[in-house]
Amino acid sequence: MAEPVLEVHDLRVTFDTEGGLVPAVDGIDFSVAAGQTLAIVGESGSGKSVSSAAVMGILPSNAEVKGEVLLDGRELVGLPSDELRKIRGNDIALVFQDALSALNPYYTVGWQVAEAYRLHHDVSKKAAFQRAIELLDKVGIPDAARRAKSYPHEFSGGMRQRVVIAMALVNDPRVLIADEPTTALDVTVQAQIMQLLADVQEEFGTALVLISHDLGVVAEVADDVLVMYAGRAAERGTVRDLFHRAAHPYSLGLLGAMPRIDVPPRPRLTTIPGSPPSPGSIKTGCPFQPRCAYTERVGERCITERPELTPRPGEGDHEAACHLGRRPEAVV
Amino acid sequence: MPDILWFIIRRLLATVLVMLALSLAVYLIFYAIPADPAHLACGKPCTPDRLEQARHFMQLDQSTIQQYLNFLKGIFAGRTFGEGAAAVHCNAPCFGYSFPLARPVTTLILDRLPVTASIAVGAAVLWLIIGVSLGVVAALNRGRPLDRLAVGVALIGVSTPSFLLGLLAILVFGFWLNMVPVNGYVPFSESPVDWAWHLVTPWLVLAVLQAASYIRLTRAQMLEELNLDHITTARAKGAGEARVVVTHGLRGALVPIVTLFGLDLGGLLGGAILTEKVFSMQGLGELLISAVGQLDVAVVVGVTLFSAFLIIVANLVVDIVHGALDPRVSHG
Amino acid sequence: MSSSVAGAVSPTRQALHRVRRDRSARVGLGLVVALIVVAAASPLLVKLSGQDAFTYHIDLLDPARGNAPQGSFGGVSGEHWFGVEPLTGRDLFSIVVLGLRTSLTIAIVVTVVTTVIGTLLGITAAYVGGWFDAILSRLLDFLFGFPQLVFMIALGIIVPAKVPRTVLLIGVLSVFGWAGLARLIRAQARSLVTREFVEAARSVGSSGWWVITRELLPNLLGPVLVVATLSIPGYIGAEAALSFLGVGVPPPTPSLGRSISDSIAWVYTGTDPWFMVFPGIALFVAVLGFTLLGDGVRDAFDVRLRRTH
Ligand SMILES: Nc1ncnc2c1ncn2[C@@H]1O[C@H](COP(=O)(O)OP(=O)(O)O)[C@@H](O)[C@H]1O
Ligand code: SF4
Ligand SMILES: [Mg+2]
Repeated sequence: MAEPVLEVHDLRVTFDTEGGLVPAVDGIDFSVAAGQTLAIVGESGSGKSVSSAAVMGILPSNAEVKGEVLLDGRELVGLPSDELRKIRGNDIALVFQDALSALNPYYTVGWQVAEAYRLHHDVSKKAAFQRAIELLDKVGIPDAARRAKSYPHEFSGGMRQRVVIAMALVNDPRVLIADEPTTALDVTVQAQIMQLLADVQEEFGTALVLISHDLGVVAEVADDVLVMYAGRAAERGTVRDLFHRAAHPYSLGLLGAMPRIDVPPRPRLTTIPGSPPSPGSIKTGCPFQPRCAYTERVGERCITERPELTPRPGEGDHEAACHLGRRPEAVV
Repeated sequence: MPDILWFIIRRLLATVLVMLALSLAVYLIFYAIPADPAHLACGKPCTPDRLEQARHFMQLDQSTIQQYLNFLKGIFAGRTFGEGAAAVHCNAPCFGYSFPLARPVTTLILDRLPVTASIAVGAAVLWLIIGVSLGVVAALNRGRPLDRLAVGVALIGVSTPSFLLGLLAILVFGFWLNMVPVNGYVPFSESPVDWAWHLVTPWLVLAVLQAASYIRLTRAQMLEELNLDHITTARAKGAGEARVVVTHGLRGALVPIVTLFGLDLGGLLGGAILTEKVFSMQGLGELLISAVGQLDVAVVVGVTLFSAFLIIVANLVVDIVHGALDPRVSHG
Repeated sequence: MSSSVAGAVSPTRQALHRVRRDRSARVGLGLVVALIVVAAASPLLVKLSGQDAFTYHIDLLDPARGNAPQGSFGGVSGEHWFGVEPLTGRDLFSIVVLGLRTSLTIAIVVTVVTTVIGTLLGITAAYVGGWFDAILSRLLDFLFGFPQLVFMIALGIIVPAKVPRTVLLIGVLSVFGWAGLARLIRAQARSLVTREFVEAARSVGSSGWWVITRELLPNLLGPVLVVATLSIPGYIGAEAALSFLGVGVPPPTPSLGRSISDSIAWVYTGTDPWFMVFPGIALFVAVLGFTLLGDGVRDAFDVRLRRTH
């Protein structure tokens, strides 16, 4: 397997809030290699956005980050802010969910893309603007030279997301983190944006971390998948591992509980009864236990002992954090 | 571009209408009051004959509406009271004639304006700088001692009547410490140094008090602004903290600050009444108060209308600037 | 959407709860309660001190110092808790507490008047729309264009003396005061009018009055309360400023602004700085208390006031 560009080890994020310490991310690992796509899936509130913000080093000041974030083997956690600043938007770039609020309403889109370029290249404003137009054109904005002078509110949702992607790509980043890049868009536009990301990745060999709700999209574009639940990894493996031999009851729930190799999984995330616990509220045992349909088969252990990510025998790098030894079947 | 032109033209027309309504209202109110300007002008002994003469000379024997029309005409074409050698001319734009002071109101206003403008503009520049920078500092240090300090200072500032602080400043810096002149105004053309030296205390007093509202406004706006997603985008691009705060944060907070500033300055230019009284300066406010004392209705009407004019112009400028500052207003 | 009707009471209660938890709002509330108690009980307090605001005590003055009060702190003593006024020897404690009563009475009456007028007109304009709204909007533009202080000063002297000054003051402050509230409420009410629950009420044939009082008003309680509380310190300041300029309440009614104005010469010559200290502090505390409370109420209701004046 290719050398990973981005490696994350035992990442922990704790927020210091008025209501006490909130362990939003509680020890996760993942890695992604050039040209590869890692998908992170999980219900909202499971710590996906916080993880990506931690990798970028853009969490608010009440957050404490522990663990390792390695970019080409270089440790980013604890790097002086000036060093980090040079990496942000340059080596690692972020695409946000809501492009309208992610763009500054007071500046033209060309200016904003050019700004991202100027922050990392010593060029004239004019040259940077030229570069911005080039990128806007590349992400498929028609008449880019003219549209570069328009403001965000003058674009449609899909076009805005293209602008955000152009802004993220303007410095040829090694890693692109896309945090639910299509959630705010309608279906046809979603497909266009995903195609755009795939094209970009192919052309530049970018490593892509795709945070998504849409398992259909994940099945199509991802190489590896990380399933997060309550700030922890529930399951990790290749896209094949997840869709054809999911090992964690939570993943099964997400997939609509159809763990059969010969039947294609349902593409949409199905709802699981109950709601995820707030971070840190479950101190012992398995965080998924209150909602788990398999806990009775395991018994006591689910409440007393926290399941750690363990390799599935004979399934390569496929890992799951569940006491249930054999593969769970669907519970009807 | 034509959009904004249309916008300005529409606003200008509305402004003219409001001015007309204002002038009529002011005119009717003040001329309906039983105090008879002719009575004061007729001298002693005031025989009915002489009174009638005075009324005729001052054109007070005409109907109120006729007088108002004369007044309007005077603004564009000037007016002449009486005939022959005794005639008094009031050149366009004539905003009335003060018989007690034997000067056209326009001249009086223009004579006094530099005093008021010196006070207002100097103080405005100071309070804008003090208020906005402290507001930003407070927002960036939310909840910390520096923020508490700024908020406390602002609170004391908004709670202190300007005349009280002015009197205290004169007492402490003028009388006790003997540092600054205690009253009077020196024209800039006579001695710029003396001009500034006499204005330092009123500037500071006004600036400190007014800055209080700007600290509060800027702080609130910045807190709101810095929470927006596009601020995170700026960080994710690799922008340094100063750039994030000023170029992206303050830019968005600008509109309400500029709005408040325009209206405050417009209001103050029409007469820094309290400050002029406390510091014994012969500005527009002082002109008005003494005119009121002498029942010099022409001056009262003139100054009132002039102040109203400034406020309306300030509103107009603020709206135009708002359009220029917020592309969502000016661009569709 | 109907929950926003049913929930109309509980947000208010939540907000009040928040006011109670906010420390500076609590201080403000404490100050305001104390100020109101003092002002309301001022005749009693004055009687308790055994003084009144009108009797001259020439014997307590020092002719050698231009009739400044004898003794330290402006003549503070067991009888005269804040000392006496220079030149006349009137009891300063009585003048200050009665002056405070004057200030608060005017400010609160004006606030009530402007709040009622501003709210009703603002809501009605938003609900009725059409020509009523157009006329009100122009009237608001007109009032905002008016140089208020200038105008108040001019009126203060020109209006015949037979109109009681206090009434004139309240009238003039009210005429200009309601506009800001009306504009804000109109804007907020307009966004409500288009909401489903109002349209639903309309479609089942509820009368305009019913919709306004039962649907719109409860939902606008927060902003109304916030603006009303925040405007009180403004009126206290305005009354003091006008009295300071000599066009407020006339003597012998005690007034903080006038006392401060009277004190200027005594302060500058250093003969009796205390003459300014007591009314000055009273005025400062009055504005401070209501400002703190107003801030607390605003934060509790989380109301955004655009175009802050
Ligand atoms: N600034 C913050 N302060 C405190 N808690 C936070 C903060 N940001 C996020 N959280 C908490 O972290 C958890 C994970 O949030 P997030 O990463 O946004 O979830 P998602 O998986 O939907 O992206 C949530 O429970 C959220 O409440
Ligand atoms: S550990 Fe127990 S509770 Fe947790 S997912 Fe596995 S079976 Fe369910
Ligand atoms: Mg998220």
